Amino acid sequence: MPLLELKKVKKVYRQGKIEVPALRGVDMVVEEGEFTTIFGPSGSGKTTLLNMIGCLDTPTEGEIHLNGNRISDLSKKDLAMTRRHNIGFIFQSYNLIPVLTAFENVEFAIRLIGRLSEKEMREKVLEMLEEVGLKGKENRKPGELSGGEKQRVAIARALVKKSKIILADEPTANLDSETAQEVIKNMTKMNQELGTTFIFSTHDPQIMEYARRFINLKDGMISSDKRKD
Amino acid sequence: MFSIRLGLRNLTRQKRRNIATIFIIAFAFFVYLFVESMMDGLTNMSFDNIRNFETGDIQIAHPDYWEEREEMPLENLIHWNNELEETIRQTQGVTGVSPELQFFANLNNGIDEMGVIGMGIVPEDYNQVFETQAYFTEGSMSALSENKAVIGDRLAKLMDLKMHDYIILLVRTQEDTFNTIDVEIGGIIRTLNPLVNSGTVLLSLESVQKALNTDHLVATVSIKASPGKEEKVLQTVNQNFQEENFSLKAYSWQESAQSLINYSKMEKQAVAAIMSIVLLIGMVGIINNIVLSSLERKSEIGMMKALGMREWEIVFVFMVEAIGIGLLGGLMGCLMGFIGVSWLVNQGISFVALYGEIAEWAQFGIPIMDKIYGVWNYATFGYIFFLGTLVAILSSIIPAYWAAKKDPVEAIYRR
Repeated sequence: MPLLELKKVKKVYRQGKIEVPALRGVDMVVEEGEFTTIFGPSGSGKTTLLNMIGCLDTPTEGEIHLNGNRISDLSKKDLAMTRRHNIGFIFQSYNLIPVLTAFENVEFAIRLIGRLSEKEMREKVLEMLEEVGLKGKENRKPGELSGGEKQRVAIARALVKKSKIILADEPTANLDSETAQEVIKNMTKMNQELGTTFIFSTHDPQIMEYARRFINLKDGMISSDKRKD
Repeated sequence: MFSIRLGLRNLTRQKRRNIATIFIIAFAFFVYLFVESMMDGLTNMSFDNIRNFETGDIQIAHPDYWEEREEMPLENLIHWNNELEETIRQTQGVTGVSPELQFFANLNNGIDEMGVIGMGIVPEDYNQVFETQAYFTEGSMSALSENKAVIGDRLAKLMDLKMHDYIILLVRTQEDTFNTIDVEIGGIIRTLNPLVNSGTVLLSLESVQKALNTDHLVATVSIKASPGKEEKVLQTVNQNFQEENFSLKAYSWQESAQSLINYSKMEKQAVAAIMSIVLLIGMVGIINNIVLSSLERKSEIGMMKALGMREWEIVFVFMVEAIGIGLLGGLMGCLMGFIGVSWLVNQGISFVALYGEIAEWAQFGIPIMDKIYGVWNYATFGYIFFLGTLVAILSSIIPAYWAAKKDPVEAIYRR
């Protein structure tokens, strides 16, 4: 059973009386542990597709199955619970909470899951921050971290709850090339070590090279889907 | 717990705006506590001054006289005799009994004339009921025994009178003929009740009865009761009157001061109006804060939703912040109120300082001289704090829901 399956997914936005199609029927299957990039020109539907997979938005037509469960027509509450337990997000602008430390930003995600004791939670957060190379910077607030470090906190936040899938929308767009490489290497390492499935969108060919599967999106449709040998 | 921590941490953001809101709420609380203390002080002092200088705790009168008492008619008077006096004095809890005969008179100083209220009293009895004797600026109550008059200092100032001057009081007798009382001023009083100071002339009861042709008659009898026993004395006296077939009735001081009690009710309404304004200020401040915060933190709300937070959990974070602002504003307001009320209780606030020289004469019909002292209402501190917090909670719900209901995609990408 694939981790993620999209069947004829369409999304149409309405702007007044005008209908703007963002996705025109996407079929896609993603297996567990894949490291996939979605690329394509601006307006091709990359962000919309990630939002559909991430349960942030629902398709106008078609079906999405995550881990065997149909998620395309869930209620708001169920979508929230699916995001909470199964999906991790990494945003272009990090979206960290500025009044919380790096530790607390990561802790935030794991606390929503619950189930763990205080001690276990603390250990997991510290372990994850160490994994992304932020040992010793746990008590720094986002304002005291560099762009790359902020994005690594965001990666740790997405990974700490052992999500089935991590979605990253242009995760390196705000970073210089050196830091961007550092961040993508970090994501690759997490994918290899933890087996977490990553799907990320990017414009950057250098970043794209790290992926093992390449989905090209054009005018809301998949124009090519290739895998690295 | 984490949501509480996050909500409280959020208080440290937009510091200026939060501090401004906290100060506005605190100032509104302070104004309410200060005004409420002043109003209650004003009411208490007014009541004390009425009891101590005008009515005593209880007044006895013929019911028909009582109906017309503001006209001070010389009809339906009380025949003051030993039997009646004994009946009243022997009532348990009675500590003083003062017969009085009030009348309207025109006071003439030889140049000007003005209307005053004359009062015939027995000094020894009067002193048992009222505190006037402690407020002589010149002379003493014994002047009445020498057939002299005692007048208020404001009246003296207005009519340009001083000790040992002679005044003429033009009065109507019981037969409705005119008579005059020609009397020397033997005492000047400045009581805490400006209404007494500005228009009352005290004379000996005997001389008044003679001038008005009302031998052995008095208009009212004022009673002083032991503290806390006023109600019991009132009931017993009325019961005794019924048993002995006296056509008299005892009235509590509240019945004498009905207009002041009505005024006090108006004061309470004014205080309630201030309370509403205070709560409205708090509400507007908090709503404004949450709306602005949610607009500024749009992408953060989107991220919370992406992490899987449900709407009510996001609402809770905003509510904690709002409650924090409400609590801090309330605490600071109560602290400012504590300082303000302490000052008001100990130092008092001067009528003249508040309203200028006009207050010296007008006094707004309130029986208080010069300074108003506040009173402590500890319950009000708790009450306003509780109510303020409740308003903070309630007023945060709708804007917090408004914030939490944002579409996650629109919120994340700030569309």
